[in-house]
Amino acid sequence: MASTAPYWGPDATMSHQMQRGSPTFPSLTRHSSDSPSATGAFTSVAARRNFGHNKASVTTSPSVTPITQPAPSQPTTAARTKRDWPESVRLYVQRAFAAENNVPGVGREEMEMKLKQVISDSAESNTLTIIDWANIPLPQHMILNDRQRSGLIQPGPAWGNLIAPLGVHDTNMKSNESPSKKRKSSDLESSQRGQEKIPPWRLANNRNVFEDRITHPDKRQRNDVGSKGSSKSHHNQANRKKRFEDAQTGYPSQQPFTPSKANTSTQDTDLGPVVGRCQDLEKKYFRLTSAPNPDTVRPLPVLEKTLDLLKKKWKRENNYSYICDQFKSLRQDLTVQHIKNEFTVNVYEIHARIALEKADLGEYNQCQTQLRALHSQHLGGHPEEFKAYRILYFIHTCNRTDMNDVLADLTPEEKKNPAIKHALDTRSALALGNYHRFSQLYLNTPNMGAYLMDMFVGRERLAALSNMCLSYLPDIKLRFFTEELGFESDDESARFICDHGGQAFLEEREGEVRILTKKARNFFESARQAAFRKVDIKGQI
Amino acid sequence: MEVLFRDFQSANSEQSGPGLAATISPIAPPNYLNRLDAIYKDSNVATISRDVAFGLTKSAHAAIQYPNPEIDTWTEIYSAYWYAVGAILAAEHAEQNASQSDWLRVYMAWKDLSNAIIKAYSSGVLENWTLPVLYMAGKHLRTFAIKADASAGSNGNAIYNSGDLQEDIAGDFDRNKNLEDAARVINRMFTLCISDRAPLEESRKWGLYYMANLQFKTYFKLNSISLCKNVLRAISAGTTDMPNLSVFPKSHIVTFKYYVGVIKFLEEDYAAAEENLLSALRMCHRSATRNVELILAYLVPTRLLTSQLLPSPELLSPYPRLAHLFTPLVYAIRSGSLSDFDSALTEGEPEFVKRRIYLTLERGRDICLRNLLRKVYLASGSDEEGKRRTRIRVDEFGTAIRLGERGVDGESLENDEVECLVANMIYKNLIKGYISRAHGMVVLSKTGAFPGTGI
Repeated sequence: MASTAPYWGPDATMSHQMQRGSPTFPSLTRHSSDSPSATGAFTSVAARRNFGHNKASVTTSPSVTPITQPAPSQPTTAARTKRDWPESVRLYVQRAFAAENNVPGVGREEMEMKLKQVISDSAESNTLTIIDWANIPLPQHMILNDRQRSGLIQPGPAWGNLIAPLGVHDTNMKSNESPSKKRKSSDLESSQRGQEKIPPWRLANNRNVFEDRITHPDKRQRNDVGSKGSSKSHHNQANRKKRFEDAQTGYPSQQPFTPSKANTSTQDTDLGPVVGRCQDLEKKYFRLTSAPNPDTVRPLPVLEKTLDLLKKKWKRENNYSYICDQFKSLRQDLTVQHIKNEFTVNVYEIHARIALEKADLGEYNQCQTQLRALHSQHLGGHPEEFKAYRILYFIHTCNRTDMNDVLADLTPEEKKNPAIKHALDTRSALALGNYHRFSQLYLNTPNMGAYLMDMFVGRERLAALSNMCLSYLPDIKLRFFTEELGFESDDESARFICDHGGQAFLEEREGEVRILTKKARNFFESARQAAFRKVDIKGQI
Repeated sequence: MEVLFRDFQSANSEQSGPGLAATISPIAPPNYLNRLDAIYKDSNVATISRDVAFGLTKSAHAAIQYPNPEIDTWTEIYSAYWYAVGAILAAEHAEQNASQSDWLRVYMAWKDLSNAIIKAYSSGVLENWTLPVLYMAGKHLRTFAIKADASAGSNGNAIYNSGDLQEDIAGDFDRNKNLEDAARVINRMFTLCISDRAPLEESRKWGLYYMANLQFKTYFKLNSISLCKNVLRAISAGTTDMPNLSVFPKSHIVTFKYYVGVIKFLEEDYAAAEENLLSALRMCHRSATRNVELILAYLVPTRLLTSQLLPSPELLSPYPRLAHLFTPLVYAIRSGSLSDFDSALTEGEPEFVKRRIYLTLERGRDICLRNLLRKVYLASGSDEEGKRRTRIRVDEFGTAIRLGERGVDGESLENDEVECLVANMIYKNLIKGYISRAHGMVVLSKTGAFPGTGI
C-alpha cells in the first residue's frame, strides 16, 4: 500500500487538477462569495487555513466549522437565516460537527451534505419540530449505515478524487446546498475579506502559495487550531491522525488545493523547490511527468537514512536492478528539492561507482555529467577520482572533442594527482600506440578505473596484436604477447586470440606456442578496424 | 533622422547592399561619430513609427504607390532599429560611467530588429541585393548575445534552473543562454537563404555561405561543434541547384573553407582538412594576416600528420604568435629530441588545448622519434661493400632513445618498450622493415627504409 500510494498520488492529483483547472476559475469569480472552500485556498493564508480546516473539519471542532460554513450558506440562506431554527436542530448540528463525534473515514464534505439533506428534508416536510433531534443518528453515522447497507467499505477519499473530475459541480452544489448554519459575524467578515483579496494574490504570486503550502503545512495547521483556542490534546491527536491518513492517499482534501494546484500546473516553469514529507525509506523510481508531489518526495534526513540502507543492501544482496532503481529515485528526490550539498555529491559518487562496477555505462555517464557540475561547485567528494574516470571514459568512447575539453579544464595540481596522472598517461600511451606502457598502466589502475579500462582493453589489445603482426616477422611467441599485453596467463591470451577467430594463426613448435604474424596480418587488421568502428555511446549527452 | 533617410535613399538609388546595411549599423561611422545620438534624439517612443513612415515617404520616389508594403516594412525595421539604438546608447553610456550596462536589453532590441528583417525577407519585400542588411543584423546579433551573456555572468545572478521536471541537477546550462537563442535566430536566417527557390539572379542563396559561416562561428563559441554538421548537410543536400562555389564572394568562401577544414580536422579527417585549409589559404587576402594566422594554426599540425612536413621559419615569421607556438616543437621534431619535444608540448599545452590542436600535435612525437631512429640508422655505418647496415639491434635504438629521455620517473626504458616503439614506427609506415624477435634485431628495408626522408 505504502509503495503504491505515492505512484498514484502524483498522477491522480495531476489529472484531477488538469481537468478542474479551467472550470474552477470562472466559478471562483462568479461564486466567489458562495464557494468558500474553493476560494479559501487562494491566499497563502487561506490556503493554510483550509489545509488545517479540511483535515480538522472532520474532527469537527466547533470553533473551526464556521470558517468553512460562512459563505456557502450566505446567498442561499440569507432568507433562511432569518428563520428561527429550533434549539434542538441547532444542538443537533453542533453535535454533528463536534470533534468527539467524528467518524474516521467519513469526510467532512460528505457529512455536511448529509446534514444539509436531513435538515432541508425535514424543513420541507415541516417536521423540524416533530423530529426528536436529540435521538436521531448523527449524519456521519447515517452515512456509515448507508455504506454498510450498500456493502461499500469506506471508499478511499483518493478514489473519490479520481472519479470525480467534475470539481465545479461539486463545489457549486456544495455551496448552494450547504445548510444554513449559525456563524459568528466576525468569521463571516474575515472570510469575505479573505476572498476579496484573493484573486490578485493568487494571480500575482502563486509560487508563494505553493511553497507555503508544502513547506510548513504541519506547523501552520497546528498553529491555526491552537490559535482558535481549541487545542485540546485530543483534537490535535485526531488532527495528526487524520493528516497521516490523508498523506497515504495522496490528496484527499483536494477541494481547497485544486485552484492553486491548477494554477501552478499552468506555470510549471516557475516552481520553486519542493520540500518533501514522505517518510518511506525506499521508493521505486518513476519518471516525473508533472510537478512533484511533496507527499511522495523524501526530505533530506529521510534520504540520508535511505542511503545508509541502500549501502547495506548493496553489500548484502548485490541486486543491481533494485539498487539502480532506488538510486534513481533518490537522485530524483534530491533534484526536485534542489538539494545540492555534500550528501548529493556522495549519492552520485556512490551510484556512479556501483554503475561502474556493473558496467552500466549509461547510468554511469548520467552520474558523471552531474558530478562534473557538482564538483565544479566545490561541494566536497572526490573530484580527482572522478576526473580520472572521465578521462578513461572518453578514451573508451573515442570522444576527442570532450577529451580536449577535459584537458583544457585540468589544473597543474590536478595533473599531479596519481589517479589523473594515470588516466592521462593511459591516454597518451594509447594515442601513440604504446601498448607496452598501456599494459603496465592497465595492471596498476587506481580506484575503480580498471572497470572502465576493461571496457576498452580488448579493443586496444586487438590493435596491439594487429600492430605486432605487421612489424614482427616471421612469428612471435605467445608468451611475449601475453606479457606485453598484460594477460594473466598464456591460456588467457590464447583464448583472447581464439575468441577473435584467430586460432588458425596459433602454432605449437618446440614446446612453445607461436603466433604466425605474417599470416595473421590482414586478419587482425580488419578485426581491429571493426572493433574501433563500434563505440558504445549509450547515455552520451 | 534625416541622415538615416538620406542614406537609405542613396543606397536604394544605387542599389548598394552595403550602403543599405550601413544604415542599420549599431556602430557609428568614423566620419559621423554622433550618428546614433542624432538618430535617437530625433524621435521618441510616441512618434517613432510615424516619424519613420513620414521620413521614408518623403524621401521615397515620387512615383511610389501608397500604401506601400516596402514603406511599411522599412518603417518596422527602422522603428526597431531606433529602439535598439536607444538601448545601445544607454549601455555604452553606462559602460563609460563604469556602471552596470544592460546588454540584455540591447540584445533583445536587436533581436526584434533581426526578426523584423527576417520577416521582411520571408514576405518577399526585400530583394536579394539588400542581403548585406541581413548580414549586418546577424553579425551584431551574435556579438550582442555574447555581451549579454557576459554581463549576466558578471552580475553573479546565476539563473537557477527551475527544472522541476528535470531528472537531475543542472549544470552550467544557462551560461550561454542568449547566444543559444541567437543561434536559433541565425539558423532562421540561414534557412531563409538556403530555402529560397527564386531564380538564381534574384535568389537569396547568395547569402548562404555568409550565414553558414556565422553559424559555424556561433557553434564554435558555444562549444557545440557537432551542430555544424547539420549546416554542412543542408548545404550538400542543395548543391545540385546551387551555383558553383567559385562564383560566390571570395570572402564568404575563404571563411567557409576554413571552418570546413577545422571541422574535418577535429573529425580527424586530415586529408579533407588539408584540402580545405589549403584552398582557404590560397584564396585568403594577403593583407588579412589574422585570417592567415588562423588558417595556419590548423594547417601546420595537419600537414605534420599527412605529409610529415614542418613549417619553415619564413612561413611563420610574419606571425609571431604562431612562431612562438610552433617553433620549439618544430625544432624538437627536426632534431629528433624526444625530451625537447615533450617539454615543448607541455609548455604549449594550455594554448594548444585551447585551439584544439593538442591531440593532433601530440602525434608529432612519432615524427620526432622517426627522425631520431633515422639518425641512428645514418650513424650506424656501412658494411664492407659500402652499403648501409640494414640490421640494427634493438639495443642500439634503445640507447638512442634512452639518451634523450630525461628519465623523469627514474625508470629507464626497457627493451620491450623500445621494440614496441619501433613496431609502431613500422605499423605507421614511418619505417620500412620488420623486427626479428629471435635475434633482437630490426631488419630495415634496403631501399627507402625511412620513407619520404630521402633515404
